[in-house]
Amino acid sequence: MERRAILVELKKVLYPYTENKELLENIGENTSLVKDLKINSANLVDIIIDAEAKYNIEIDFDSAERIVTVGNCIDAISEKIS
Amino acid sequence: MISTGNDIVALDLTDQERTCRYRFYSRILTAGEVALYDGFVDGSSGRGSNERLAFSSFVWLMWSIKESVYKYVSRSNPQLVFAPLKIPVSRVIIRDNYYEGVYYEGTVRHEMATLYSRSFHQDGRIMTVLSEERDFSLTRWGVHAIGDSEYSSQVAKVRMFALHSLSAVFPGAALRIVKTPDGPPEVWDGERILDVPVSLAHHGRYVAWSYRLNSSSYRKSAAN
Repeated sequence: MERRAILVELKKVLYPYTENKELLENIGENTSLVKDLKINSANLVDIIIDAEAKYNIEIDFDSAERIVTVGNCIDAISEKIS
Repeated sequence: MISTGNDIVALDLTDQERTCRYRFYSRILTAGEVALYDGFVDGSSGRGSNERLAFSSFVWLMWSIKESVYKYVSRSNPQLVFAPLKIPVSRVIIRDNYYEGVYYEGTVRHEMATLYSRSFHQDGRIMTVLSEERDFSLTRWGVHAIGDSEYSSQVAKVRMFALHSLSAVFPGAALRIVKTPDGPPEVWDGERILDVPVSLAHHGRYVAWSYRLNSSSYRKSAAN
């Protein structure tokens, strides 16, 4: 699956945890989940679990710990579905 | 390392059932930390006390300790990435004293430092504050419920409450809190940065702050 297609689906995962929906619409690979999207860090595990469920994958601990930006999320997902 | 770190979790915004699933909590707790819950001991009396805290709340208690450690340490190591499993909590006990009421005291060994946490579980939220001194004598903290949970409101109100407390320590100072995009918040007096590390946290309708005085500002505070 192309990174752009993953990004489209990832926005749906991030939607419930993002207050500013307009900001979410315009995210890119360098967008930080916490610093830019203002997602509360307490929701980071939720996002990983939701992404796992959406793609029927398991994101390992090492990959999960590297998830800071949208691009990191896409890396972790694409690594597992490829 | 002179620093401070804090965190707050609004439990009504967490999914208790999901939190108790292994797939969820195993991303936060090591097996050793899960065992801490089973062996919870009241530090003041030696009684087993885990009936006071649901497992889901315990998970968030540990999360808040780890997040506080991350904030504390990342002040001197800005490249640090928050990885809960790499911040081991070695001990958590329940304390009960006249001044603080009931709280959870945690101990964390991180790199070469031993850090101590105090966590307060009350009114549907867990707030943790961290210190390198076990007696917390140089650390000030507070937690407040606010009227709404909008991000802009959380940011404004947590600064307002922290500055209100700081103004008692530095009377007459033109205090403001400055947050750079990639760094921790800083306390400024006019155009001068103060040597007072501050930490801010918010979740839902709760905000919390902490700061750590150095000994000279503490003496100044005590004299006022």
